[in-house]
Amino acid sequence: MKSTWVIMRRELASFFVSPLAYVVLTSWLMWNGVVFWVLTEFYARNAVASGAATPLSAFFGGSSLFFIPLLVFVPVLTMRLLAAEKQSGTIETLMTAPVSEASVVLGKYGAAILMWCVLWAPTFIYAWIMSQHGSVDWGATAASYFGIFSLGAYFMAVGLLMSALAPNQIIAAVLSFVALGVLFTLGIGEFVFDGAMRELCAYISMWGHMQSFSKGVVDTRYLVFDASVTVLAVGLSIGALKARRHV
Amino acid sequence: MIEVESLSRRYGSRWAVREVSFRVASGEIVGFLGPNGAGKTTTLRMLTGYLAPSSGAIRIDGIDALQDPIRARERLGYMPEGVPLYREMRVYEYLRHRAALKGVAAASDAVDRSLERAGVTDARRRIIGQLSKGYRQRVGLAEALIADPPILILDEPTSGLDPNQVRQFRELVRGFRHDKTVLLSTHILSEVEAVCDRAIIIHAGRKVADLESNDAETSLEEVFAKLTTSTSTEPVR
Repeated sequence: MKSTWVIMRRELASFFVSPLAYVVLTSWLMWNGVVFWVLTEFYARNAVASGAATPLSAFFGGSSLFFIPLLVFVPVLTMRLLAAEKQSGTIETLMTAPVSEASVVLGKYGAAILMWCVLWAPTFIYAWIMSQHGSVDWGATAASYFGIFSLGAYFMAVGLLMSALAPNQIIAAVLSFVALGVLFTLGIGEFVFDGAMRELCAYISMWGHMQSFSKGVVDTRYLVFDASVTVLAVGLSIGALKARRHV
Repeated sequence: MIEVESLSRRYGSRWAVREVSFRVASGEIVGFLGPNGAGKTTTLRMLTGYLAPSSGAIRIDGIDALQDPIRARERLGYMPEGVPLYREMRVYEYLRHRAALKGVAAASDAVDRSLERAGVTDARRRIIGQLSKGYRQRVGLAEALIADPPILILDEPTSGLDPNQVRQFRELVRGFRHDKTVLLSTHILSEVEAVCDRAIIIHAGRKVADLESNDAETSLEEVFAKLTTSTSTEPVR
């Protein structure tokens, strides 16, 4: 358990001393600043058409503008986790220290979750801005952040798994991008297919997930899905790291 | 003490190490010799648990390294070939991190002691990525020493060092005699003659000799040349 903490601390330290961290955080905030501005403008000009949606619910997953940046930023955040160790050869010192594969993977995953929180923390300012100019449904905002955390837990786990499988960071990023892109697109199948296929697509839909949470509805089906994918991906990452010794 | 029994390792269909057995007694300094590609690094990687053997047994101070890898690794200090390090960290940060990972109590003292022993105290605040190869090599050595392990496994520890550093390194290793068990791989024969009690020679994945290095009757160079160029050894495939 202690070694998990040691690994997590190093991962975060090395991320936050790298220029990558600041490039990622700055571009993330610029992109989302523009998204928030466009959405607010839209609702200001189309007040009647908007119905129950608010700029905040649209920002937190009510529009595709929520997902496009994520498909790019998640792979960039997670590509380093294990692939960078393989690329630089430090995996050899890491895996010959008296630590288990599970503590290495959990330490890396914990660091990824914290990075995800750091990514989202500044967006709280948008809720504050809205509260200065109108009323904010704080319950729905809290549910939105909860949904984002749960979604992030699974995104980061998928990115971690790709980083565990890939030999270098570029391939890790490409694999995560493809995996998340496929999951996102499958979710849209909800509006395309009928019957059982429609049910399945609705179940994995990120879009449906965030639309529900951003309106303040905490749907446990989505939580179960997120938790299942997280556990599966983290478990497979541990397995991939164990299998490496035999290759 | 390191005990290795019929250790083999296959990469796909190619055997990198085949039926290698040897023993390094406590307090002994042994050179692991062989031409490039002989299987030295693969063997050391199996000893340290980085690679799983295809077959065979490894005991580290009596602990079965395949059954109880974490306890076995606690007893090892390992300096891999090429000395991979986290380049963005400062020297003392890296050593503190490794000390914490290895569960060393009083980490600051351990860092100071290993910096001193490896002769890198003057670089303690420098960023690893900006160090010269010789310094990085010594940071790797400091890392191997950080938990004061009874067994040291060093893969080509003097490659990239200048002659003064090589001499310092040999003095350091000689200082471990009777105190630590050392297995160091190299293809520099004079190194073995200078610091080792014994030499194990491997060629094409097989052990071909195990001899006292200070045996005045035989020149190591002659033996090495004879054993590692002979065609009588079974091919690797």
